[in-house]
Amino acid sequence: MNSTIIQFTQVTKQYDNDPPVLNDVSFKIERGKFYTLLGPSGCGKTTILRLIAGFTEASKGEVLFNGKKINHVPANKRQVNTVFQDYALFPHLNVYENVAFGLRIKKMKNAEVDRKVKEALSFVNLKGYETREIREMSGGQRQRVAIARAIVNEPEVILLDEPLSALDLKLRTEMQYELRELQRRLGITFIFVTHDQEEALAMSDEIFVINKGKIQQSGTPIDIYDEPINRFVADFIGESNIVTGRMIEDYKVEFVGKEFECVDQGLNPNEPVDIVIRPEDLEITALERGKLQVRVDSQLFRGVHYEICGYDKDGNEWLVHSTKKATVGDEIGLYFDSEAIHVMRHGETEEEFDRRLEAYSDVDTNGK
Amino acid sequence: MWIQMENKLTKNLYLFPYLLWIALFVIAPILLVLYYSFFDIEGNLSLINYQKFFTPVYLKMTFSSFWYAFLITAISLLIAYPTAYLLTKTKHKQLWLLLIIVPSWINLLLKAYAFIGIFGTYGAANSFLNLMGIGSQQILFTDFSFIFVSVYIFIPFMILPIFNSLNELNPTLLDAANDLGASKWTTFRRVIFPLTIDGVKSGCQVVFIPALSLFMLTRLIAGNRVITLGTSIEQHFLVTQDWGMGSTIAVFLIIIMVVIMVVTNTRKRGV
Amino acid sequence: MDKKMTPLSKLFLLVIFFILYAPIFFLVIFSFNSGETMYDFKGFSLEWYRELFQDTRLLIIVLNTVVVALLSALISTIIGVLGALAIHQAKKRQTKNTLLSLNNILIVSPDVIIGASFLILFTMAGIKLGFYSVLLSHIAFSIPIVVLMVLPKLMEMSPTLIDAARDLGASRWNVLTKVIIPFIIPGIFAGFFMALTYSFDDFAVTFFVTGNGFSTLSVEIYSLARRGISLNINALSALLFLFTMLLVVIYYFITQRNKVNGMGVRKH
Repeated sequence: MNSTIIQFTQVTKQYDNDPPVLNDVSFKIERGKFYTLLGPSGCGKTTILRLIAGFTEASKGEVLFNGKKINHVPANKRQVNTVFQDYALFPHLNVYENVAFGLRIKKMKNAEVDRKVKEALSFVNLKGYETREIREMSGGQRQRVAIARAIVNEPEVILLDEPLSALDLKLRTEMQYELRELQRRLGITFIFVTHDQEEALAMSDEIFVINKGKIQQSGTPIDIYDEPINRFVADFIGESNIVTGRMIEDYKVEFVGKEFECVDQGLNPNEPVDIVIRPEDLEITALERGKLQVRVDSQLFRGVHYEICGYDKDGNEWLVHSTKKATVGDEIGLYFDSEAIHVMRHGETEEEFDRRLEAYSDVDTNGK
Repeated sequence: MWIQMENKLTKNLYLFPYLLWIALFVIAPILLVLYYSFFDIEGNLSLINYQKFFTPVYLKMTFSSFWYAFLITAISLLIAYPTAYLLTKTKHKQLWLLLIIVPSWINLLLKAYAFIGIFGTYGAANSFLNLMGIGSQQILFTDFSFIFVSVYIFIPFMILPIFNSLNELNPTLLDAANDLGASKWTTFRRVIFPLTIDGVKSGCQVVFIPALSLFMLTRLIAGNRVITLGTSIEQHFLVTQDWGMGSTIAVFLIIIMVVIMVVTNTRKRGV
Repeated sequence: MDKKMTPLSKLFLLVIFFILYAPIFFLVIFSFNSGETMYDFKGFSLEWYRELFQDTRLLIIVLNTVVVALLSALISTIIGVLGALAIHQAKKRQTKNTLLSLNNILIVSPDVIIGASFLILFTMAGIKLGFYSVLLSHIAFSIPIVVLMVLPKLMEMSPTLIDAARDLGASRWNVLTKVIIPFIIPGIFAGFFMALTYSFDDFAVTFFVTGNGFSTLSVEIYSLARRGISLNINALSALLFLFTMLLVVIYYFITQRNKVNGMGVRKH
């Protein structure tokens, strides 16, 4: 069986003469995985969801579902169900009837409806809430009703449009676990839209980072966090120190006026690049032992670590996450491994980027 | 969104009755009035009606109609604003508001009829005046009775929008003004009134336009002493059968109405 | 805001309420007068009510009025709901605003103009003045108010609700009957009642377009009142007052039950 369930081929969505919301986007979604579309608001992630759900039609390109083109199939004929940001529960129906809505449309027998609704409600831990009105339910409970209403129809794909954004922090974390767990138990594809990078990293099998109507990078959370393709991804996923630099030759890069060893190769000599170093990869050390010297400007206690912000003599800002405390005003040294340096080429496409990374791992295995 | 992708014909079929209504009962009547205004009483195409409208007789009538409408609106506003303001301070304000509105639901004619009795020569008003030692007066068929009854009829329509805008006023704004050292009067002048001006505007709209055009009140209460634009239209259509002239006055009334709408320029609230 | 009211404020409100209600109660009280005038209360009697109920002509007029009101409210509610849907789903802002402006023309137009222009319309169209012309006029001027009562409910409805229904497999018809109509039903009821009261209250438009002996209560009261005081009008008004209060109470309960904010007249 083909593992691809949804495929976009060069899909563009454009309203009138405005710049396209989605620009020539292609990707594949596999069965049974948890996908996250991550990006700032207005990046086009919700548009992708609406195209899959059938609430809107692509201006160009093809949307395939199980290998069949579904561009013109109306929403009510598609085998996907959506959990909406505001839940969109019908206020005139109670919990039971909300969940039963889709089944009643299909004219299913009452006994069958009853069995399925009860099963779906117990799946989301809402047994016994059948006769409650929607307005009597809390935010978290409404969320579950919305999920039950989607899963009861046994869709092949569930779309979730920022469903956790209305919940408070504690509940949100709880629901993240629950959603992930639910997806595992159901074994169907979840496509989750969010602008919260932590949420994306915590829940997904695969993340698509989207900006300005384009998919910037796709991959597992670890891949994306460790090897961001460009400034946008590096900045959007986690906190980063980004400076401009120059690739002198293979394994040698120059930034902030110094030369450093790195693990990157295959770039052109003297090619200008962006350098990313994650704050947790920087280690505070004695001034003379540091690869970099910065003056501590401010320090915040974040619970697990201190967040220290300092400036080097060129005025670049350096963010450090450290369990060690520093003193504001002091000059300190920062040490990092050569693996901590991530080199990003300007305007590199995802394919080129992937090929380059693969080449490194080849070298690694050959070397050892 | 829900109309997507279905058959074009069924998609638009449900629009038909409403659009038909717009065409037949909104657009066509206006055009017909305009059309008729170009015919004289014998049915000949002419501009005589427009010439007539600018003779002193009609101009004076228009002016006095305006004057009465202005008086009615102004007096209504003077009474309605404090009433609305005090209503927002009562405990069960929605209930009190309902009680203000209930009289507006009672047939207009009955209210006018009541005043025929009250203001009559031997009516309640004159008995009261006698009791005060002033003695009987001719009240019915005077300007006073016309304006009094008009204000009586329109006041709920003036109170309602003002009450709503006062009610929507955020009370912390008043605290803020107070906190910044504004006196009660300054608070009213600089904060409350500007924020409720929309309510005042729509109140004036719903009073002024009908006040220009009421005709049964002038007949029943003012005894034909007052002739408004409305009375004049009715006269031409139903008595003298000069539809052309009646239409011409109607055209001007429509123009005046549009001007007032543009000037007050607030969204219309149905009462 | 200080919640306390000065005695002067209370007196002011009291006077306002007195003036608003005095004429109405005045009418009602004199309907029980055994005398024949509205200033000399001779004694209690139900004579005028008996006379009222023996007046078959008047009873027919009452029947006419009720039939016109119910029919026009029903038909204008149906067309008004369709109109509200049309305005709501108009995609372009400009189309929406144009439709809304056209809708509101009849609401802001003075009755005289509506009456006069409809008179021309019916004459041109060759419709005989009488029941049908009155019914058509009442439908016509009630439609916009229904639209204005229904539209805010439609606006209030989150668009994702419709998406959700579509997503769950609902056809366009399902969406309308299972989601939209149940959601806007308070607005529909409110619109129906407003249309009913508009029809009952209308005098000016009916006065213009009626003919051939067809008459409604308002027109009848007008012609009676022009002739002077007659206490069976008082009896009639007492009954109408009761009827109006009944409508108000029904309306109040409908809006309360449907949890329309406040009293429903406020928020359409």
